[in-house]
Amino acid sequence: MELDVRGEMCPYPAMKTKEALKRFTGETLVVLTDHAPALSTVPWEGAKAGFAADIEATGAGEWKITLVRQNGAFDARRAMAQIADRLRELGQE
Amino acid sequence: MVSVAATPATARPRLGGVVSLLVAVLAVLAFALFWAVDPDLGVFWGIGIAFGIILQRSRLCFAGAFRDLFLTHDGRIMRGLLVAMMGSTVGFWLLMTRLVPDPSFGTLPPGAHVTPVGLHLVVGGLLFGVGMVIAGGCVSGTLFRVGEGYVASMVALVGILGGLSLAAHTWNWWWTHHIAAMPLVWLPGLIGHWWALVLTIVGLAAVYLVVVWWELRDGPPMPAPAEKSEPMAFSVRDHLGALYRRIVVRGWPVWAGAFALAVLNVFAFIYDHPLGVTGELSAWAERLTGLVGLSAGPLLGVDLFAGCNLAVGDGGWLTSAFTLDAGLVAGAFLAALASSEFKVRTPRRPSRYLQAVGGGALMGYGAGLAIGCTVGAFFSAIPSLAVNGWVFGASLAGGAFLGTLVIRRLP
Repeated sequence: MELDVRGEMCPYPAMKTKEALKRFTGETLVVLTDHAPALSTVPWEGAKAGFAADIEATGAGEWKITLVRQNGAFDARRAMAQIADRLRELGQE
Repeated sequence: MVSVAATPATARPRLGGVVSLLVAVLAVLAFALFWAVDPDLGVFWGIGIAFGIILQRSRLCFAGAFRDLFLTHDGRIMRGLLVAMMGSTVGFWLLMTRLVPDPSFGTLPPGAHVTPVGLHLVVGGLLFGVGMVIAGGCVSGTLFRVGEGYVASMVALVGILGGLSLAAHTWNWWWTHHIAAMPLVWLPGLIGHWWALVLTIVGLAAVYLVVVWWELRDGPPMPAPAEKSEPMAFSVRDHLGALYRRIVVRGWPVWAGAFALAVLNVFAFIYDHPLGVTGELSAWAERLTGLVGLSAGPLLGVDLFAGCNLAVGDGGWLTSAFTLDAGLVAGAFLAALASSEFKVRTPRRPSRYLQAVGGGALMGYGAGLAIGCTVGAFFSAIPSLAVNGWVFGASLAGGAFLGTLVIRRLP
């Protein structure tokens, strides 16, 4: 499933993600955003709901965040630390 | 154990490279031009550019600092601001002890944001807090997002100007019925320089601890990213390249932006006066409404204290406050271009424009009443050792909380 929140600014990308994840039954949710602060807030909402995240830059000021459901033991703290490293590679903190 | 998929970082498009260089050259030319007219114009243009770059690079959003405390129990930005205010406090204090060696006579340091303490701060702070959450950014946030290409923020700016004009029209009523009788409370005047410093730093540290406690109540907070080392530099070119990536291409952590803002604020105060953005916007509002015969006219009492007072708009367009605000937008534009983040963004939901203009109007009115915004009446006022900064800050928090109740019900 794809959630397109381009054009939205804080706090809507994270709020929409949270709402979508509540109803979401699939495995992979792709979030499209052009709001840089969402690169830390969206993965955090994902982690709280048991989803790991990956971020990819798709254009000038546009990013694709892929949230993948994690079954079993999920360490949100560790997942967030990994996202933080990923953000640094992309030049976003 | 779960891990984040390690796809390689895609190369960022460098379309903005040439354009950002061009804009940088234009910014320097503008500096030279302003300097030639009046050095103050040039200096505040430069301060504005730095202000815009800092806000854009570190995404330092004052509205988010308050809002996220209530919306997501996230205090990262607020903690950054608190540390920055501690830094500014020390710098402001050093300067103010020189400006007013003996504070017991009731003398106030020129330029410091010490304004009347009264109910208008509570009303203004609540309105501003609700408005910034609904509009999606405070006044400085709106200005730097205009530079990043957010169309909704341009609409919010129109709302802010409208709100400021409304505040100017009602200012004389507020002044005669309430504000004129309210005291200017500068902590060193009450308890001396040293105790004012200790009390302010301890107060900020106490708020920091409360924020940490509040964050942890909702489970583990987002971990702070560990600093990742650059590959070893074998030449000057490697070294400069690493430095360029660190400063221009990659975003700054909140603490770095907050620290830079503290240094900039102390510099601005030493040069002339602390940072503030709304005073000039009110002058724009007054001039624009004047074009259609709706100007508010003379305002009572605004020359009795320093800060982001509503301006009467008779000083002409070219003031140091204008070059600061214009520089802020230009700096954010430049930083967004250089990092390939500039994009014209339009919200798809038309109701966002209504939110922008309505929230902007609430902010504008609140800032007019409270004599400043999150920057002038909070971020520059608490380090000025002024009680009004604390009252406005607490009211902002209350307003932001009410704002989160509103936006939770919006589509």
